[in-house]
Amino acid sequence: MLDALAIALSGLVTYVTRAIFLVSRRLRPPRRSARYLPLVGPAVLGAIALPGIVAPTGEISLAETLPALVAAVVAALLWRWTRQLVIGLGAGLAVWWGVLALIWALG
Amino acid sequence: MTDPAPPSDRDLGRAAALAGLRDGGLVVLGYIPFGLASGAAMAQTDVSPAVSIASGPVVFAGAAQLVAVQLLGSGAGVALVVLTVLVVNARHLLYSASLAPHLAGWTRGQRLAGAFLLADPTYALAIARFERPGGGGGRGEQLGYYFGASITCYLGWSALVAGGVLLGGLIPDWVPLELAVPLTFLLLLLPLVKDRAGLTAAVVGGLVALAAHPLPFGLGLLVGAAAGLVAGGLVLARQPEEPDADPAPTGEAADA
Repeated sequence: MLDALAIALSGLVTYVTRAIFLVSRRLRPPRRSARYLPLVGPAVLGAIALPGIVAPTGEISLAETLPALVAAVVAALLWRWTRQLVIGLGAGLAVWWGVLALIWALG
Repeated sequence: MTDPAPPSDRDLGRAAALAGLRDGGLVVLGYIPFGLASGAAMAQTDVSPAVSIASGPVVFAGAAQLVAVQLLGSGAGVALVVLTVLVVNARHLLYSASLAPHLAGWTRGQRLAGAFLLADPTYALAIARFERPGGGGGRGEQLGYYFGASITCYLGWSALVAGGVLLGGLIPDWVPLELAVPLTFLLLLLPLVKDRAGLTAAVVGGLVALAAHPLPFGLGLLVGAAAGLVAGGLVLARQPEEPDADPAPTGEAADA
């Protein structure tokens, strides 16, 4: 019962963080910050993406990091070329599996 | 192709909703391993399966759900769990502030409904589209894309967590899939990096988050994002301000 209450309240506080600047046009981020808001996307998404790419299983090592970095570079280049998320993602995963298999085969 | 009439607002809205559905569906595919693994991890705790499954549609934020259920499983009190979720999810404040100027034409009800679905992938997809020249179309197109993408992510994520809780390790351990989610976010990040300030924010945010990765409760993400914002802001502050670069509307645009 308490567990259910905790999850319900967690949902509530999460909703508040999501809604707070969308509730009213009067409640806005400070005007001076408007110029800096476009940086939110790059900063947060960079902070989500990079640790997962450098250490996909949680540790930084040549055998873990190198294949993932190669895959990320291939995915980014293919995305630049085609502008298709699905192609970048598919090719990135394929390259990752390929390099992992190569490393595994070489022992 | 032979129809000379321009597409109506309704057609445009429907096409945008389909595009959102497609992009959201792709994101859900990338989330399959993380969603199932999160559900499986929740199933390992003493928390009841029903509560773990409910955390998907109620909280709709993967890392926070996982932390909340694991804390509950280790006997933590309600207050500690809720406070921790608040800290882990504080980044949504930034999403809310960042989207506010783009959603200024929506009614309050639309904005409040949109806020409920404003998770990481929703924000990434929406901001990439709304920051295009033209702002992702008129209000109908914006609404169509936003809700098409976010409802797909919401249903997909909730189903994955439930599947993971009920069926445990559906994907064998030897299939490596951990890269799918970070790769998806990298590809959603690329179109947002438009200048040196954006690049600085992304690189510094990523490197600091990596260095702060050992912090508990996913706090490294928050620290990295803050550092990226400050670093990008410093670069931006040294550039001369462009008078027409600000997309934020100044007047009261519409109803509500």
